[in-house]
Amino acid sequence: MNALIPYLVSVFLLLLIGLGCLMVKRDMIRMLIGLEILFNAANLNFVALSLGRAGFADPLGQSIVMMAIVLDGCVVAVGLAMALNAYKHYGTLDVRKLRRLRW
Amino acid sequence: MVMTYPLSASFLPLPLAVLLLGGGTLPLIGLLAEKTGLRRLKELWAIAFSTLNLISIYLLYQELRASPGRVIVSSLLGSPPLAGCFEIDTLGVYMAGCVALLGFLSVVYSYHYMEEESRLTEFYTLVLLMMAGMTGVALAGDFFTLFVFWEMMAISSYVLVAFLKHRWAPIEAGFKYLIMSATGSAFLLLSMSLLYGLTGTLNFAYLSASLRGAAPTPWLLLLLSALLIGFGVKAAIVPLHTWLPDAHPEAPSPISALLSGVVIETGLYAMTRIFYLIFHPDLFGVMMAALALITMTFANILALLQDDIKRMLAYSSIAQMGYMLIGVSTGTAYGIMGTLLHVLNHSLMKGLAFLAAGNIVYETGTRDIRKLVGVGRRMPYTVFSLFVALLGLGGIPSTNGFISKFILFSSAIGAGMPLLAVAGVLNSALSMAYYLRVLKTLVSTPEEEIEAGEPPLPMLAVTLFMALLIILLGVYPSPAIRYASAASRALVLRLESYMEAVMGG
Repeated sequence: MNALIPYLVSVFLLLLIGLGCLMVKRDMIRMLIGLEILFNAANLNFVALSLGRAGFADPLGQSIVMMAIVLDGCVVAVGLAMALNAYKHYGTLDVRKLRRLRW
Repeated sequence: MVMTYPLSASFLPLPLAVLLLGGGTLPLIGLLAEKTGLRRLKELWAIAFSTLNLISIYLLYQELRASPGRVIVSSLLGSPPLAGCFEIDTLGVYMAGCVALLGFLSVVYSYHYMEEESRLTEFYTLVLLMMAGMTGVALAGDFFTLFVFWEMMAISSYVLVAFLKHRWAPIEAGFKYLIMSATGSAFLLLSMSLLYGLTGTLNFAYLSASLRGAAPTPWLLLLLSALLIGFGVKAAIVPLHTWLPDAHPEAPSPISALLSGVVIETGLYAMTRIFYLIFHPDLFGVMMAALALITMTFANILALLQDDIKRMLAYSSIAQMGYMLIGVSTGTAYGIMGTLLHVLNHSLMKGLAFLAAGNIVYETGTRDIRKLVGVGRRMPYTVFSLFVALLGLGGIPSTNGFISKFILFSSAIGAGMPLLAVAGVLNSALSMAYYLRVLKTLVSTPEEEIEAGEPPLPMLAVTLFMALLIILLGVYPSPAIRYASAASRALVLRLESYMEAVMGG
């Protein structure tokens, strides 16, 4: 279990960085990067936990990470397409300019 | 009692195979439609496959009805704990049935409503894939299978929300929805990795066998909160709801109906199923009760302030999620039955409300309630079905909304939470304030002449059919109650037989 601690600390740091990125950054592309960091925190956790099990790398955890990377890619691709369309409408990627929706 | 699934050679459950085949071939059909000049071919193809989906759900239902405790396990490769698999029980088929019914009605409705839009091939492909995603979530027997179909549903819905991309509002709402919902998905993946680290498997039955009843450790509480964030964003529980009032009104009306009618319920379904499998109800009951209270009160108050009819309906969806959470918080089979019944009823009522609002938008071109004075005199049938839907949402007797709300509130009293029941009744009364405001506006005397008539017949037929179903289930609810009660017992009381059915073979 002790060998896992550096990995778990990095996962926690990645989570904080990703969430911070989503909250602080105002650029659509940077927000998508923050999203990707969040997904990668979870992926790293999977890989780390699959290594600690039974003395060898568990293929279940690894294969799930492979699939999860593909799914993250799809989400970010859709996000980038939306950023492109938003740029066509507003001429900017700054989300502070996108405040026309009411509460 | 493991049985291989005869209809599809234990590979994919039949409804899922039908929807994936339909969605996968639709781009080709769209191309064919362009080449041959038969422009409506793609619409007919989508309608055909959603009909087939309804039929295959019915076949599954027939197969499961014979023996109530049965679980059909169909696995892609190998046996359950190692490979991704589907475990089909009464509850899953119930949820998939709700999806199939509303999906079919929305696709039929889209035939006329979306006529003027371009890129219709993409539209119908995404609708079928979104339905496939929801069906997959309902039938999954493995957390990873659930996650894959969850993302399939989510990604299709992001694109569908931003479908009318020539206007600014859908793009903005879609981006907000994507960021919030994908953050939720990331937390879901994180909680999956924690589950995997704690137990070494992701199969529901094995997870339940190793975690249910364990003493709450810090890891388990971390897991609980990560799961709550992950599912709560999709289910629009109040601190995580802010995407919904933007995303649901900006989508095209049939998509609004699907999103409010079944997509958020799928989030609630997945949360309920996983919480009941992994945790003891005592651990999350009080928290759920508090969330239910906050969700319905907050959403009902905000709905009072809205002037946009679709936005008001979106807030009302959040409030209805609050009522459904009451049943989850009780931890009894009776409460879960109320939740499930309300899922079915809400999918019909909110689906109808959005489709009828779609009729009004189609004819008048505005969503502002203040500009809709007297429209009801021009389109009486549409407004009649909207009346039925809104009265059902408010919980008036003789509509189906009354039955499920009655069961929910009485289950709260039975579980020793009378405060929750009182709050629910007060909230229903509060919600009538904004429903009746819409009704009054629509039928009062118009100040100026309005250019509007009844919409085309297929659109009108769908709304009238749904209004009929709402009244029918309100005066004769016993078939729905019987099936919802079987589904809730499968979740709450038959957990042991579920585990036995999966692990025994």
